[in-house]
Amino acid sequence: MSARAAGAEIAYGPLVFALAALTLAAAVVSLSLGYARLDLAGAISDAFAGRSTVAAVVLEQIRLPRAALGAVVGFSLGLAGAALQGLLRNPLADPGVIGVSGGAAFGAVVVFYSGLAGAFALAMPLGGVAGAVVAALSLYALVGRGAGTMTLILAGVTVNSFAGALTALALNLSPNPYAAYEIMFWLMGSLADRSLPQLWLAAPLTVAGWALLIASAPALDALTLGEDTAASLGFDLGRLRAQLIAGAALAVGAAVAVTGAIGFVGLVAPHLLRPLVGNRPGRLLLVSGFGGAIVLLVADIVVRLIPVHPELKLGVATALIGAPLLYGLIDRMRKEA
Amino acid sequence: MRGRADRRAGLSRMLGAYRALRRVASPKRLTARPLICHASRDVFPRKEGRARAFAACVCFALCASPAFAKPQRVVSLNLCADELALRLADASVVKSVTWLSQDPRNANLAAKAAALPANDGHAEEALAYDPDLVLVGPFADPASNALLKQVGAPIVEVGAPRTLEGVRRQIRDLAAALGEPQRGEALVAEMDARLARVSVDPHERRPTAMVLQPNGFTVGRGSLADEILTRAGLDNLAARRLDIAADAQVPLEVVASLAPDVLILDRSEERAPSLAEAALDHPAIVALAPRMTVVSLPARLWTCGGPEIAEAVERLAVAAAAARVARATQ
Repeated sequence: MSARAAGAEIAYGPLVFALAALTLAAAVVSLSLGYARLDLAGAISDAFAGRSTVAAVVLEQIRLPRAALGAVVGFSLGLAGAALQGLLRNPLADPGVIGVSGGAAFGAVVVFYSGLAGAFALAMPLGGVAGAVVAALSLYALVGRGAGTMTLILAGVTVNSFAGALTALALNLSPNPYAAYEIMFWLMGSLADRSLPQLWLAAPLTVAGWALLIASAPALDALTLGEDTAASLGFDLGRLRAQLIAGAALAVGAAVAVTGAIGFVGLVAPHLLRPLVGNRPGRLLLVSGFGGAIVLLVADIVVRLIPVHPELKLGVATALIGAPLLYGLIDRMRKEA
Repeated sequence: MRGRADRRAGLSRMLGAYRALRRVASPKRLTARPLICHASRDVFPRKEGRARAFAACVCFALCASPAFAKPQRVVSLNLCADELALRLADASVVKSVTWLSQDPRNANLAAKAAALPANDGHAEEALAYDPDLVLVGPFADPASNALLKQVGAPIVEVGAPRTLEGVRRQIRDLAAALGEPQRGEALVAEMDARLARVSVDPHERRPTAMVLQPNGFTVGRGSLADEILTRAGLDNLAARRLDIAADAQVPLEVVASLAPDVLILDRSEERAPSLAEAALDHPAIVALAPRMTVVSLPARLWTCGGPEIAEAVERLAVAAAAARVARATQ
């Protein structure tokens, strides 16, 4: 296989294990970091003994959801980035860049500020999923079947700015005077002061999305040989597209509904890890998920360590790393073309 | 040479337009004299420095209504100014208030305000009423104020006082600008009478307290809210322990681990959803609620420095008493 000639490939199993261990380590660091001094050991023993001391409450209700959501949302973004890149056969297809996250933010905003979120528990993540589906479908209508990078980026810019404008419009239409100032959260994202119920709301839908995406691995590998070859190998391409778009929308939509749109994670993680799996999009999926979780957890640790008040939005930190990378990627693709 | 002539022609065209604009405004208003800013000295404690005093100076330096005549067409472009004007002036004199003060969830005098035409706080809207007094807020767009000044509409800036004394001063000053000094005195006396009924035992330890506002803001030293807390017999942890000046965001973690005796949530009774206010329902706060006295204080009682702050002090004094009882029984 020519892909194996890439060289830096590492055995798949140990790689996944190492990345999972790193994710866990980053989550533990995130858990131990905070604004108040906390006796972590005491807090953990209190929490397990069911004593609701102040330390236990801080650990369980503030730090745990923050670390867990960082891992879950990062995993969703990294995995969805890798899957969309495989589907569109373009390394620039990040959910943030192509507007899927923006669409999800708009869906969640409509559900939340209209008061629908109170109607039933899953309304808000489902709103995010619906927004993500619409964004992904309208993007696919423009760039499906291997359109050029230029078309992909332009379509992404269009979907993104339209979704952003609709989000701002929806926020301004809200009768609550605070709503208009919350645009930063939805466009840049944050994990600050999230809660456990939000984690439980987002988790089932994101996990369902992960399952759909990871199950598409063999078909994605076949797709690298070209659509006709993949079809001749027995893969139903229509089904594959539907599965990937639904999976990405579930994973990204539910995540964004809780944390706002965080850009570039789905770009950075697959880019860094692609050489390690010999450029096989199927193998890149799980690995990118863990990579995304690590990137997001580290970014969230960084925003808490930078002494800026109020805290930096998470999307600022990921964009500071991701935007130069995107620039470099486009530059390289331009030279190769 | 040609360039200079062009510039001069341009300048004279601009001046012409400016004069035309001035003519539109009635000549009487052009004679408006500025009142000196008497508010600044007491609104801010001396320590706060000149810069703040100067900022407050703007508040009445722009004031241009002749003190002897009652303005007949008053337009208010700010929520806090709306309420003071409605309390102090004749109902027939106030021509328009902001849309914010017509919403009972934001405002104290919503019923009264709803009877008037609403504005969005733009200078242009004020001019439509041919006003002889325009009330603007402390954060008004400088361009709007410049426009109002340009056409000669007298404006008074209603500031955000940082002390109780500043609140009294502001009521008196605005009453004077409206030509209703007696009503101003009466309003101050009424507020002071209510405040006087709230007594604090100086020998008893004050319950500790912390304010949690939407978006995780709290209030510290040198703010009106801090004085309201102190007046109600509470010890503001943000000011005394965290040494926060005025407003600052605090992480929820810090609020939870300080575990104050009284937690004051700044929120309205019912309102459309926002993330800002959702933060007040965080499970960590709910989990710690049994060990604290949690009191909701709607923003309308203490956002503006009006006489309604007496009610804020009364409600907090009740919470302070409850916290003392809770501590005694523990």
